[in-house]
Amino acid sequence: MTSWQPTPALVRACLLGLGGVGFGIVLGQEVLAVLCAPFVVLAAVGLAGRPRARPEVTSRLDHRRLHEGQGTTSRLEVDDLAGVEHVTRVAARAAHVASQPTYGAVGSLVPDGLPTVGFSPRRWGRRAVGAENVALTSQWAGWRWGPVHLPETSLVVQPMTAPYDSRAEVPQPDGLVGRHRSRRVGSGTEFEGIRLFASGDRLKRINWPVSLRTGELHVVTTRAEQDAGVWLVVDALRDIGVSGGIDGHASTLDLTVRAAAALAEHHVRTGDRVGLLVVAANGARVPLGSGPRHLQRLLGTLARIRTDARSAPPERLDLGTESGSVVHVLSPMLSTPLVTAAASLQRGGTSLVVVDTLGGGLTTDDGAGRLALPNLAMRMQKVERDDRLRRLAALGAPVVPWHGPGTLDTVLQQLARRAQVPRVRA
Amino acid sequence: MQLLRPGVTPPVVVLRALLLVLPCAALALALPVVPDGLVVTAVVLSAAGWAWFPDHAVGAAPLALVAGWWAVHAVVDWRLLVVGVLLTAAHVAATLVSYGPATLAVDAHLARLWVVRGLLALLPLPVTWLAVRALDPALAPSWLWLLTGVTVVGLLLVTARLTRPETR
Repeated sequence: MTSWQPTPALVRACLLGLGGVGFGIVLGQEVLAVLCAPFVVLAAVGLAGRPRARPEVTSRLDHRRLHEGQGTTSRLEVDDLAGVEHVTRVAARAAHVASQPTYGAVGSLVPDGLPTVGFSPRRWGRRAVGAENVALTSQWAGWRWGPVHLPETSLVVQPMTAPYDSRAEVPQPDGLVGRHRSRRVGSGTEFEGIRLFASGDRLKRINWPVSLRTGELHVVTTRAEQDAGVWLVVDALRDIGVSGGIDGHASTLDLTVRAAAALAEHHVRTGDRVGLLVVAANGARVPLGSGPRHLQRLLGTLARIRTDARSAPPERLDLGTESGSVVHVLSPMLSTPLVTAAASLQRGGTSLVVVDTLGGGLTTDDGAGRLALPNLAMRMQKVERDDRLRRLAALGAPVVPWHGPGTLDTVLQQLARRAQVPRVRA
Repeated sequence: MQLLRPGVTPPVVVLRALLLVLPCAALALALPVVPDGLVVTAVVLSAAGWAWFPDHAVGAAPLALVAGWWAVHAVVDWRLLVVGVLLTAAHVAATLVSYGPATLAVDAHLARLWVVRGLLALLPLPVTWLAVRALDPALAPSWLWLLTGVTVVGLLLVTARLTRPETR
């Protein structure tokens, strides 16, 4: 159990002060008494400053949910500071978490306020922060309470939503109300045609020049503006490369998760319904939904993604998609079964876009070590992957490497044009 | 090349260096009289250990050795005052760096507070020095020594009582 213990400084002062003066007088060594006299003062005031309180020490974080790169502060709470002069905190280092001060050790006098430690997670996921040792020191550094170990706290770090915006339309919007121009006639703003007036038509839609010229009432028709269903399939089977957090290199999973977060935020902001399927050992499926709360749910699910070497890729992607939904498969496309599953979706008539999130994950050394075994293996992986992507593209599924804003503009516009072409059903 | 361990600030290194230097300097004041090689070795080694572990009981060793050497040689001139200041300064420096690990930066407020405390602690030094130089112990009545002895024993008992761990 924690209690107030004499510090080594007090023990030293007592030994030299009382011992020195005592021996000096008893043995007649007056020089010893002179040299040890200052320590008598230090020992006396140190001993007298023993606190009587039994403080309870706790800490709390200002925030429990953050985005990568954001920061929070860990604050100390001590219920009874009577007799306490100085507080020292030493926070344990956590992976992918920067702290302020850098090495986690901070101390201050109680009148200056209790010391705080700042934490800033540099990578998405669950981060354990706040494990620390706290020591309270009495006046004249005589007594110490602790170090008391405080347990860590879990911090949910949502992926940084990389700046992403797209002006392209979703190919086949099929919802109720949204921003995308649909094929159906409705009360939008996009011109569709002019036809004869029918009962029920709004008067403000009458086109007077045409009506006067033809002698019959004509109305302007427009296309409805509807929302779309967007599925995000996140490949979390493997994480290739070393993650340096938001300040360093991004691993393939970093790129995948950040791209998914950016797409989710963009589509939710434009009023679309967004669903998420995580392909991993602890896979997760979030059904289609919209609104800010749904976005938080999506980001929370992305933050919980973990890779596991035992993860087995699925044989098919069971999204339960409605017709008209668009599926974005975010993956480095290194797993053949996932490519096959994506190809099956494409064959089934779903509008599929493959977002390649390999980035620099398979960068090979072109120098002297190019014939080394790891480099050869990497090049073989790359050749196989390129072949898979070529075959996927041949099926009509566009493959685009992720590069932030506007990544999907061209592809979505092409898909939208393709969706306008009449199809002959067998 | 990085001279300091990651996170260790120069003021901490300076304070730790003082723990090695100050006891040695207090002993070096005896020059031209050269202390015994064993004493010098013991002071240097224990001071180095103290500089490495400022929050350890080993810190009492170099101070006690230096004070003991000067007591044995019964030097009561001006150098005694300097030795007293050096030993107290070493104790204050060790106290300052023992508030936390080596990566804990020295708080300027705390440093100022301990400089003042160190100066306060030095107040009895010139008083006792003058007393030792000016007063003749042979003239003191015999009961004074008895009273002093009893007082010292009483203080030791009080210290032992205060430093006893709390029982609940």
